[in-house]
Amino acid sequence: MKRFTKLFHTAVLVLTMSAPVLAAAGGRVPMPQLPEAKGDQCVEDTDVMRRKHMDYLMVHRDKTMREGVRTPKHSLKECLECHASPQEEAAAGQDEGQHFCKSCHMYAGVKIDCFECHATKPEKTATFHPIVTPGMEYSKAAHQPAGELLNRLAGASEQTGATE
Amino acid sequence: MSEQKHPDNARREFLTQGAKLAAGVSLASGVMLYGVAQAKPADEAVTSKVRWGMLIDTNKCTSGCDACVKGCNDWNGLKGHGRPSTDAQWMRKVDLRNKATGSVHSLPMLCQHCENPPCVDVCPTGASFKRPDGIVLVDKHICIGCRYCMMACPYKARSFIHEEVTDQRPHAPRGKGTVEACTMCVTRVDEGQQPACVEACNADGHKAILFGDLNDPNSEIAQTVKTYATTAIRADLGLNPGVRYRGI
Amino acid sequence: MKKVRFTQIEGGQGFWALLAILGAVIAAGLGAVYYMEHNGHWVTGMNNQIVWGMPHVFAIFLIVAASGALNVASIGSVFGKSMYKPLAPLSGLLAITLLAGGLAVLVLDLGRPDRLIVAMTKYNFKSIFAWNVILYTGFMVIVGVYLWTMLDRSMKKFSGKVGFVAFLWRLILTTGTGSIFGFLVSRQAFDEAIMAPMFIVMSFSFGLAVFLLVLMAAYRMTERPLGDAVLFRLKNLLGVFVGGVLYFVLAYHLMNLYATEHHGVEAFILRDGGIFTTLFWVVQIGLGSLLPLALLYHPSTGKSRSMIGTAAALVIIGGFAQVYVIVIGGQAYPMTIFPGFEATSTFADGAINAYSPTLAEVLLGFAGVAITLAATAVALKLLRFLPESLGDEQVVAKQDATAAVKAAA
Repeated sequence: MKRFTKLFHTAVLVLTMSAPVLAAAGGRVPMPQLPEAKGDQCVEDTDVMRRKHMDYLMVHRDKTMREGVRTPKHSLKECLECHASPQEEAAAGQDEGQHFCKSCHMYAGVKIDCFECHATKPEKTATFHPIVTPGMEYSKAAHQPAGELLNRLAGASEQTGATE
Repeated sequence: MSEQKHPDNARREFLTQGAKLAAGVSLASGVMLYGVAQAKPADEAVTSKVRWGMLIDTNKCTSGCDACVKGCNDWNGLKGHGRPSTDAQWMRKVDLRNKATGSVHSLPMLCQHCENPPCVDVCPTGASFKRPDGIVLVDKHICIGCRYCMMACPYKARSFIHEEVTDQRPHAPRGKGTVEACTMCVTRVDEGQQPACVEACNADGHKAILFGDLNDPNSEIAQTVKTYATTAIRADLGLNPGVRYRGI
Repeated sequence: MKKVRFTQIEGGQGFWALLAILGAVIAAGLGAVYYMEHNGHWVTGMNNQIVWGMPHVFAIFLIVAASGALNVASIGSVFGKSMYKPLAPLSGLLAITLLAGGLAVLVLDLGRPDRLIVAMTKYNFKSIFAWNVILYTGFMVIVGVYLWTMLDRSMKKFSGKVGFVAFLWRLILTTGTGSIFGFLVSRQAFDEAIMAPMFIVMSFSFGLAVFLLVLMAAYRMTERPLGDAVLFRLKNLLGVFVGGVLYFVLAYHLMNLYATEHHGVEAFILRDGGIFTTLFWVVQIGLGSLLPLALLYHPSTGKSRSMIGTAAALVIIGGFAQVYVIVIGGQAYPMTIFPGFEATSTFADGAINAYSPTLAEVLLGFAGVAITLAATAVALKLLRFLPESLGDEQVVAKQDATAAVKAAA
């Protein structure tokens, strides 16, 4: 019995010490293939982002949700503007394996549920997209004569309905 | 020598017109900027100085029209799955017939953004909440999907998401297992725009929905509700909804 | 005086067979939960109109019965009826296991059950649900302490005080459960203050019926003597509680019927509701209240063990029907958003909502019952909850002794 116990303990020790080698040799989870981000640099330094991105997102989400503060700096929507391709573009690199957030989290083994609700890709008409501004949306209404358009923007009467 | 020059009418004319034009252009751009600048700055928190509300004139609603519903579904990315009993409906048209008199009406029903929302009272985690500016929302980060708010809402305004959602619009996150309702297009409102249903109704030419700040005495909606008789649905419950109706 | 001796139940084939069956039911329920959670609730019969369904019927029944099961112990320690004292440990155990089963069903049906930690850390104290989270978990702790005072000789002196706290706590808890519905101004079937006290009396009735059945089954299976003295006392009490529930149901409906605005919902439940009307009159009133009363109090059936057991089972079935009519019937009747108008829409305004429970929901409900029974069986095996004998000579001797003590004093 004593010899068996000794053998058992040795086996456990050997397996534990060699586990990293064995795991890596199996190559179960591939290194994340992070797609190239647009723009020159991120809103924070890379090493800061690596450690703190979850805190920034967590604080900012409550500010946006509860207080209506919609600054772009730590907004999830804004992250995706640079780190993911818009919906209209080619699907290459958009599946789970190569989504910027999902692939890294899958490798790290940290489950996130952001994308159960949040869009995984930006949209061309999203607010922070540089092409479209609110003012431009108004101008896009080609069928509206300019006078009415100006009235509407100023919040004046006829266009905005219900009174007679 | 006191030679009185004749006023050069042509030049005067030109200058006057020029001045008018310049004034017009600067005024117009000022007005345009004013309109856009009315949106609160992005880094400012919302306050209770503003109370967003809607006034729906049911006299302008027709039974077959659902432009507002389509506008809402489109903007928020609500897709049907062919399962009407479980598909989400943030806004719906209701056709009414008065049992006593026989008169018929049609109106859109949506979250009424009450001042005293029962859904906020009953939510165990505080996920259902009211912003200081009156917009009632669901914080889907802490919603546990118990559906108590759906039981409590006197307008049946809320829907539960019964299946996995993909391809969400970035401005309207929604996911399986949480409860949702009309957000009064809060991302649009925060940028000084009008909700999608209002825009859609206006684009269709009916102009039945008036949106604005109920707390601003100069706003059209505040002046209208002050001048004309308007009703709150289920007013006896004392919830003081932000959505009021005319013609019912 | 014969001292009551508590012992563990012996294992044996029957015990393991029972656990195996219950384990299979629990496994089926967990499979159903995976199916519902993975696909989303569209695979269930619950939808945007019938928001709470079969799982909630089971959960509410179990939770209401849980607080009522503690009654027997309370009568012993709070009201000093010595005959009930040997039954107190089983009563406390059943209270905890019934609550655990009910809560398991409730939590597993959530849209986001992975967010249970959120529910336990973020509270909106205006919500009765938030209070219930505290009341339910607190109940388990308090009854746990109560059991400790009953089973540990050195703690026996605290039994009375802790029993009193447990008694008060469960009254508040059941008021809270009834208030889940009573606080809903939106629906005519629910917005009644009477829901809270009605739930309390329902808890008395359902809890005692479950206790009686478990007691009879446990003593049968372990071949321990269960005398008539104990059994008849309990069955008479059950009859009183069934009558109490009948009174509250009568009061609820009579009051509703007086107000014209409630005529619609009353006509729906009492006459036009199809399945709901059948469940109300035939199952809840007939099978669940009147027949058990007859069985329990009739001189011949009232003395028959099988009839007593049948009566308790009927009370339970009637109780399920009552919760079904309350929870689902209340949602089936269209919400009166526009009083005085007929409404139609794409969201079932003005329409009576149909509900057909799916297998997954029913499996989840039964899994909750199985969790309760399995936990009870395991606890009875591990700890000394059951008196070795509840025979007449045991109990009558105790009563004589107590009387003698009183006479001497």
